[in-house]
Amino acid sequence: MSPNFRRRFRRRRDGSVVVSLPEEEREALAEFLRQMRELLVDDTDPSLRRLKPPARPDDAESESEYRGLVDHDLLQTRLDAIDLVAGGLDGATLDSEGVGAWMQALNCLRLILGERFDAEGIEPDIDNRDSPLVGVYHWLAWLLEQLVDAATPNLDG
Amino acid sequence: MTAPVITPVETTDVDGETDLDKPWKVIVWDDPINLMSYVTFVFRKLFGYSKEKATRLMMEVHTTGKSVVATGTLEKSELDVFRLHEHGLWATMERDT
Repeated sequence: MSPNFRRRFRRRRDGSVVVSLPEEEREALAEFLRQMRELLVDDTDPSLRRLKPPARPDDAESESEYRGLVDHDLLQTRLDAIDLVAGGLDGATLDSEGVGAWMQALNCLRLILGERFDAEGIEPDIDNRDSPLVGVYHWLAWLLEQLVDAATPNLDG
Repeated sequence: MTAPVITPVETTDVDGETDLDKPWKVIVWDDPINLMSYVTFVFRKLFGYSKEKATRLMMEVHTTGKSVVATGTLEKSELDVFRLHEHGLWATMERDT
């Protein structure tokens, strides 16, 4: 991971958030987003389960109805977020929609990785030596924390 | 960002009450992946909660395993759950008994 700890997201006075990632992080993120997009479209990977938890676990019929209503929209909003992020890796200025898309995409990547660790019995907060993906997971958390920090003043209105 | 167009399915119970008359609650469950700061941010963004209220709900999820973050009609609750899922949170809904 980059030894450069300069902030990756900076809030401007007008509330927009400027993205500035080092080249190696842009390339890594582009590759992860590409892989995630494939997984989402393919829709067979078990780690995707965490992205669409049951809304009505107590009622199979209502749950199936609910899934029929939302699954397409849920997928589309994620693909839109990925495309927006992938298109702005070189240094976008994000409005609130852009901030939402970045948060969604970064968090989705973490959820997929976290679900895989869970399946493999890896505890990312403890076993962080052997798996390079654990490093990626923490890097994504670091990015997301910074983006939350940068965008939070906008909620204070 | 898109939101789904959800048409509530109205069913009539034997006593004549409809699902839409009954309040529903939206519950967020603890998970080891989502960041506390992010969860607080999402509660504020989606529900317009103050920093204090959103933080309290987040801490309730974190320490007790779950929290009721919103209540409302079936239609509103379905939309709330959708938006929480969209943001990667683990949310369910159930009838408020």
